[in-house]
Amino acid sequence: MPAFLTALSPGWLLIFAGIVAIFLPMRRVRQGITIAAPLIGILLLVLADQNVNHLSASVLGLDLVLYRVDGLSFVFGLAFLLAALLNAIYAWHTDDRVQDGMALAYAGAAIAATFSGDLMTLFIFWEITAVTSVFMVLAAGTRASYFASMRYLGIQVLSGVLLLAGAAYVYNNTGSLSMKAFVSLSEPGAMLIFIALGIKAAFPFMHNWLQDSYPKASVVGAVVLSAFTTKLAVYAFIRMFPGQDALIWIGAVMTVFPVFFAVIENDLRKVLAYSLNNQVGFMICAIGLGTAGVGNALALNGATAHAFVHIIYKGLLFMSMGAVLYRTGTTKASELGGLYRSMPWTALFCIIGAMSISAFPLFSGFVAKSLTMSAVSHEGLTIVWLMLLFASAGVLEHSGIKIPYFAFFGHDSGRRVKEAPFNMLLAMGMGAFICIAVGIPAIIPGLGYEWLYNLLPFREEAMNYQPFTFDHILTQMQLLVLAIFAFVMLKRFGLYPPEKPGTILDTDWVYRKIGFGLAQWLGTVWGKLGPAMTAVFFGITGRAYERIEDAFSPRGELARGALTGAMAIWTAALLGLVLLLGFIAVG
Amino acid sequence: MSNDTPETRDKTGRFLKRAAEKAHDLHTVSNEGVHPMAKILFGWTEARHIGAIIFWGIGLLSALLIVIDLFVNRHDYFSFANATGFYGLYGFAAFAFVVLMGWPLGNLLRRGENYYGDAGGPPADVDPDMPQAPDTAHMTYEGDE
Repeated sequence: MPAFLTALSPGWLLIFAGIVAIFLPMRRVRQGITIAAPLIGILLLVLADQNVNHLSASVLGLDLVLYRVDGLSFVFGLAFLLAALLNAIYAWHTDDRVQDGMALAYAGAAIAATFSGDLMTLFIFWEITAVTSVFMVLAAGTRASYFASMRYLGIQVLSGVLLLAGAAYVYNNTGSLSMKAFVSLSEPGAMLIFIALGIKAAFPFMHNWLQDSYPKASVVGAVVLSAFTTKLAVYAFIRMFPGQDALIWIGAVMTVFPVFFAVIENDLRKVLAYSLNNQVGFMICAIGLGTAGVGNALALNGATAHAFVHIIYKGLLFMSMGAVLYRTGTTKASELGGLYRSMPWTALFCIIGAMSISAFPLFSGFVAKSLTMSAVSHEGLTIVWLMLLFASAGVLEHSGIKIPYFAFFGHDSGRRVKEAPFNMLLAMGMGAFICIAVGIPAIIPGLGYEWLYNLLPFREEAMNYQPFTFDHILTQMQLLVLAIFAFVMLKRFGLYPPEKPGTILDTDWVYRKIGFGLAQWLGTVWGKLGPAMTAVFFGITGRAYERIEDAFSPRGELARGALTGAMAIWTAALLGLVLLLGFIAVG
Repeated sequence: MSNDTPETRDKTGRFLKRAAEKAHDLHTVSNEGVHPMAKILFGWTEARHIGAIIFWGIGLLSALLIVIDLFVNRHDYFSFANATGFYGLYGFAAFAFVVLMGWPLGNLLRRGENYYGDAGGPPADVDPDMPQAPDTAHMTYEGDE
């Protein structure tokens, strides 16, 4: 390849193409660019040499590595590029310059961040993902989405600011900005970066931005959002905090708590947002295993593989719900049902995505999650393992059954709509194809799950791992089939809670109700107290001025009386005193 | 000029025509608004007694999976996981627990749709030719029957 092409990061290409797209009024030309850019990006990435700095720069004395590919970033970059391609196809029926361009630039920023070799470059693209992605929420054009997008932007920028502060701290202490694994959280700057990444990965209590904004995004926007931000954080965690014990428990909690919210949530896109949280929990937990600063090879493979397949199947699920939203105008479970009659293809693809996320054997989730589960059990972490197993049954509940069942089957809502547009079906079909192609056994050597395992950062360990053992298939099928039996039984005996419209309170209540209320109360108080304080202040200063004027003005106390030169005498006395003090001080 | 050529062409033509008609039928929605693929892919869900069939079918499959487990000597890292049917029972219990927790949690956490202010309608990029939504105000909710 020519030199300028080897130095061209696929991320930069996408950002550039995105900026061009924003200003291109010709719809099909613009959409051609949004499809061609990821394709060229994939080509560039596949041809790029690994473990070489393709582009570095020295700016203001900082050594920046702008484009570097290695085994880990390759997998994430490839997944992001595939997602960008599917998203562009999915958006073919729309005509929105800003959304097209920003979606491409957002993908590009995430990819460029993945291929950055230092904290400063990471920070820059980290912030670009925040600024570009907010347009996906804004594109919905509703009042609620506007407010959600502002909350989203605030939290994302906060994450960036923390990352920058951490990077500055690290630079100050080590004199280097290069990305390396932290051994301990007490290292200078480590905690700040940890929290910055934690916000983006939607850690418990920092997760609300995700459930708040994704379901309020536009049809296409939610699909775009689902792929990049959280997985970029997962990538950064693998890079900087492998083997960090805290992550094990944070991840385990993350897998479990969203399950309960997802069960009672009525908006199916919000259910998917909770499900995203739960899936990222598996990855975070896997990253925490092993020695601090090194990690566990099997588990890191698990996190990487899980991120890859998750980007595809979560995108697929969001696409199917997007298609439903596009045709019916709602994703509320209480208003849907029976849609398989009108949208059988969408239903089929949704079921494939649902089976993948539930980790049915022969679907992509199975081959990825197995790595993590095995690693956790090898480490002998009984409680964590039981939590993850619990969460696996939970995933089946909210993503495996609830999403397809309440949208496409169940109680017939009487809605008779058209099947999704062809481009949406094509994108979903491609996603479904990847879900199955990656999930099947390697009947042809090198294909099937081996294709994915071959790409993983610890290739040897991955290739030695066998997901399709009899024990493993049997136990997984037991877990899933008996859980399905529980569903059928609860449904049959009327014990399954009905889907009701409503808002489910989560911890964002703290800032959206108490915080907002407090701010409003402070505003009201200030509105009353402010003028009162101003009045008091002017009263006091006015009186003080009058006193001073009475004493010192030409008509004042000191200017009157027999000794008219009183001011001069006083001044002379003061100067004499200063002189005396001066002599004492010197002496 | 042989006479075979038009014959073959005609045959091929008829074949293509039929295939095209078939393909056309497969994406022509019926008057009731039902997609023809729906019958092919999911027609079975409308079979009579399908609820009972699924219930007993899954029940039998569950039993079968546990029976197979009786004859398999599994090698899990945790000894308790080697117990027969551990995964199945755990999955069943976990699933049932999650779903049943939906009752109290729903009562505890569910508020009105406009709790945080106007919940808003669908996003701007939905289908402009969307059909009128059926009246949902008097609808029974899934599970309410």
